[in-house]
Amino acid sequence: MSLGHELVLLIVGFVAGIIGALAGVGGGIIITPLLALYFGIPLPQAIGTSLIAVITTSTASSSVHVQRHVTDIKLGLTLELATALGAAIAAYYAVYANRTFIALLFSCFMLYSAYTLISRLWKTRRDNNQGRQIPAYNPKRYPLGLAASLVAGGMSGLLGIGGGPIKVPVMYIFMEVPLMVATATSNFMIGVTAAASAFVYFRRGDVLPAVAGPLVVGVFLGSILGAKAAPKVHQKYVMILLAVIMLYLAAQMTIRALAGRIA
Amino acid sequence: MSEIRDPRLDTLVARTLRWGAYAAFMVLAATLLIAPFVEVGTASQLYRAGVLVMMATPGLRVLIALLVFLREHDYKYSLVAGGVLLILLLGSVFRIGEH
Repeated sequence: MSLGHELVLLIVGFVAGIIGALAGVGGGIIITPLLALYFGIPLPQAIGTSLIAVITTSTASSSVHVQRHVTDIKLGLTLELATALGAAIAAYYAVYANRTFIALLFSCFMLYSAYTLISRLWKTRRDNNQGRQIPAYNPKRYPLGLAASLVAGGMSGLLGIGGGPIKVPVMYIFMEVPLMVATATSNFMIGVTAAASAFVYFRRGDVLPAVAGPLVVGVFLGSILGAKAAPKVHQKYVMILLAVIMLYLAAQMTIRALAGRIA
Repeated sequence: MSEIRDPRLDTLVARTLRWGAYAAFMVLAATLLIAPFVEVGTASQLYRAGVLVMMATPGLRVLIALLVFLREHDYKYSLVAGGVLLILLLGSVFRIGEH
């Protein structure tokens, strides 16, 4: 890999890290399609490599959330039983999945993520009006939470993403966990979920360390800068920008998948 | 709250995540800097090592949580943490399901 390629990957990771930290997403949803569409990396390797960036975002940001006592570690560990299992199983069987199907599924997930991002924008504004205190709560409907976590884990293992857009609404709406805790706990769980499938991809040779290395450095620096800049930046514009990027990438991926041009 | 927060568990888990992320970052950033001056094989091995440190960090924080729960005789969550660790180990160390 040339120095030029490494620099481009570093910049891609840095931008994804900043946007991810500002919008509260793992970054995999941007990195996987970018690697597949613009770097010519075959989809399974783009997914495997993206998982390492997802682990980085989760690890860097959840260390801060855990230290601030916003993360519910016990709830996270319980749901991780399902996400890790789902991710590992999906990663084992991803090798048999049709690439066009995976690309189209990814496009659908990007559309859904863009929708949840915009709807979360509305909820965040409403929650901000209610103050930053975490209200007393008791998670409900664990079977439903575990089932949704299994699906989120499966999507993570199949697509190389964090699965936050599935876990956060389920924890917030059905398990009655406050949004701030649900977001931090989902972020915390993403590391283990992505690691469960990343090991499978790594053993299969579908993680490209020379691509992942510069990406991780960029994502790490971008996440730190994004977290520091978050209080000074209008989150609304970042979320709208991310939603627009996702819609564009979803369209690109769908067009290429239907034309049979996904490697 | 679902349970009363354990500040010691939070601190230990946060430190594990932070140190793991920094360790992987240092290895990968150093490799990125020296890559143009060393052999391709050496750079590849260093990138591989950094990536593996990053991949192992979430598992390490589960192990830390398991040890804290065992020390506090919290067997319910020891079992939960042990289950998560087992799933990670089945996929990574024991290579179950490898094609």
